[in-house]
Amino acid sequence: MKKLSDFFATGWVQGAIPPVLLVLLVAIVEIGSPGFLTGETLGLLLGNTAVLFILATGVTFVILIGGIDLSIQAVASLASVILAQLLPSIGALAFPVAIGAGLIFGILSGIVHVRLRVPSFVATLATGGVVAGMALWFAQGRAITIEEGGRLSTTWINGAVAGVPVVAILAAIVGIISFMVLRYTRFGRYSLAVGAGEPAALAAGVNVDRTKIIAFAISGTLAAIAGVILAARLSSGSPSLANQLLLPAIAAVIVGGTAITGGLGGVARTAVGALIISIVRIGMTFIGVNIFAENVVFGAVLIIAVAITIDRSKIPVIK
Amino acid sequence: MLSVNGISKSFMGVKALKHVSLEIRPNEVIGLIGENGAGKSTLMRTLAGTLQPDSGTITLDGELLRLRSTRDAAVHGIGMVFQEQSLLLNMSVAENIYLGQEHQFTRLGIVNWKAMRRAAKRQLGKIGVDIDVTTRTSELTFAARQMVELAKALTLEESVSRPLVILLDEPTSVLNASDIDVLFERIRSLKKRASFVFVSHRLDEVLRISDRVYTMKDGEVVAEHPASQVTGPELHEIMVGRGLQTEYYKEPRQMAPGPEVILEANGLSVKGAFHRVDFKIHAGEIVGIAGVVGSGREEITRTLGGFLPQTEGSLKIRGESVRFTSPEQAVRKSIGYVPRERRLEGLVMFLSIAENITLADLSCVMKNGKINYGMERKLATDWIRKLRIKAPGPDIACRKLSGGNQQKVVLARWMTAGSRVLILDHPTRGLDVGAKEEVYELVRELSAQGIAILLLSDTLEETIGLSHRVLVMRDGEVTARFDAAAGNKPDQVDLVREMV
Repeated sequence: MKKLSDFFATGWVQGAIPPVLLVLLVAIVEIGSPGFLTGETLGLLLGNTAVLFILATGVTFVILIGGIDLSIQAVASLASVILAQLLPSIGALAFPVAIGAGLIFGILSGIVHVRLRVPSFVATLATGGVVAGMALWFAQGRAITIEEGGRLSTTWINGAVAGVPVVAILAAIVGIISFMVLRYTRFGRYSLAVGAGEPAALAAGVNVDRTKIIAFAISGTLAAIAGVILAARLSSGSPSLANQLLLPAIAAVIVGGTAITGGLGGVARTAVGALIISIVRIGMTFIGVNIFAENVVFGAVLIIAVAITIDRSKIPVIK
Repeated sequence: MLSVNGISKSFMGVKALKHVSLEIRPNEVIGLIGENGAGKSTLMRTLAGTLQPDSGTITLDGELLRLRSTRDAAVHGIGMVFQEQSLLLNMSVAENIYLGQEHQFTRLGIVNWKAMRRAAKRQLGKIGVDIDVTTRTSELTFAARQMVELAKALTLEESVSRPLVILLDEPTSVLNASDIDVLFERIRSLKKRASFVFVSHRLDEVLRISDRVYTMKDGEVVAEHPASQVTGPELHEIMVGRGLQTEYYKEPRQMAPGPEVILEANGLSVKGAFHRVDFKIHAGEIVGIAGVVGSGREEITRTLGGFLPQTEGSLKIRGESVRFTSPEQAVRKSIGYVPRERRLEGLVMFLSIAENITLADLSCVMKNGKINYGMERKLATDWIRKLRIKAPGPDIACRKLSGGNQQKVVLARWMTAGSRVLILDHPTRGLDVGAKEEVYELVRELSAQGIAILLLSDTLEETIGLSHRVLVMRDGEVTARFDAAAGNKPDQVDLVREMV
């Protein structure tokens, strides 16, 4: 096991495994069901991956700085509730309000983590609980159907441009912007530095606190965008809408090759990871795994991915 | 008799111990002296079982020992009182003394705490200390904790039939004079039952307590003396190994500082750390601070680096009053901090040379609001050539570089950021001789460019050799100031007198 993990920990191997795995999975699906990944089914696959990818991209930012955001599914659900609730009264303005709520709760998580020095998993577990509670409260515990009138503002999301689903285009936009932010901005560079060596980044004059808060703000915002898209697709908002998405989202980030310890990885890797998770999901339906058992598999996948890739030289004590 | 025979140990290519041999006879106190980095602690940790030598052997009465853990060492009666105290502060004294040995008091999985407390009390009695064994360790003074550590080491007597060897790694560094007297008295009375290895850099103490003294330098044992036949100054000469080598510190290249005052501290204080410290650093001037651990000099570097805001007094940079509450502010006021913990604070080890060089000031490689990777690589490549950094290219992660080359990357970063003040906290720690010399050369060059430098270093000769002026600190206050212009360097003995 030790030697195996050493092998997986070497840079290029870790970077190369996820794409190879993705190609392998695609090949397996092609062999098992020729023509499956063309036309309509491919569109469906991309559409299904989009929400997961947007969610995972947000949490990628937080994982890169060495933290974790457990509040994303609650934030996504709250955004769906806000959208469904407000569409009839304020129309398309409900979009910025719902996404703004995600931004605010992301910043809140960041501030709790940074200013009160609460570990990010506790901070986001708690803010996630608060957010989930608010979603339940706003929705009176029920799913809210987006009625005919509201749907006027959401149908475009379910459409397609030149055969490509709009959700996939939205995901691509989010992905490209996130990629650019990580690669070309100060914030992106500082994120890597904070994740790879916070004390050194601090001593070099990096504003560590601000970097972290921005990462959480992005995570919250993208979670809300994912929630809004999900609500549009299902024509309903619900306080439990995204409840099964936290685990697959984090699994997508790690399977894609971003280090759980921070400082290494990026959005391109998360795109690969999200596709892997989606194909595994389709494969499971295909071979008849009960849909309710999905997270059993994703939990196992996450454990395996972390166990073979984690760089233990960076963390002497694992708690 | 415990013998160390030709032990060697390297860390990442740096030789910490080179063929070290020594003997610890029964009922004897051995003194072990040497400068920081001479290999004392590595040797102690090898004897305590926490480090394994690359070659050489340890024998006890002729029997070969393989010490793979502190437990192995304990089985053979070797106990260690650690420099960083090993007690768990959230536990009681009794629990600490028997930590990991609870099985003696356990029946059917239940610990008989009463029996443990009685036994702990007996252990403390051995060294004549009267501490309530139910006290939480965090409530004890440092001196009392040291005694508890000693009592803990002495529990080995119960399970080992031969006389113990107790390793004391700088036990006096946090004790005051009367506590030290008490400790020494205990050691003398315990000598009948155990041998001690006493590690310290305070020569007078070593001579007071030891029967024999080994002197280490650069990973080797260079001398062995009966304590009665050697004096402190003689030992110091051997420990340092050479007279002041003006060439080594590039002394002829020391230039007179410019007239402009870059950094000025007036009555600078941080409560509990240092008190009313005054100094000025001119353009191109190197000011060294000498002092032992706890003198407050380290906290001064933290204050200047933005980690520890002053509670009183003023700090001026080129006439402007500043008070830093974050390192970011210090960097903005053109301070560059070269920390002692290079691997932790100096560099982001997993990032590349280029990314580390631009970390403090990305703006110089930004174009149209974007990081320009071409410019960044070119900048880093230029520095690699200029500072002769040994690396295959600018994209190599810093953790793959040797210590000396890592330090050059840190300095390249601050030069890129245009720092006017450099805080050098032990800039040559852990570097081999050649790498040190290169760093000295670089420091001289920076000084010649008009950068104001505050220097803390491991050795007095380095402090004196590099600095224009030297401040000496003790217990948070400046006790003396020496001019150290080229050709007019103060004597180490004069500095030491003010330090302790």
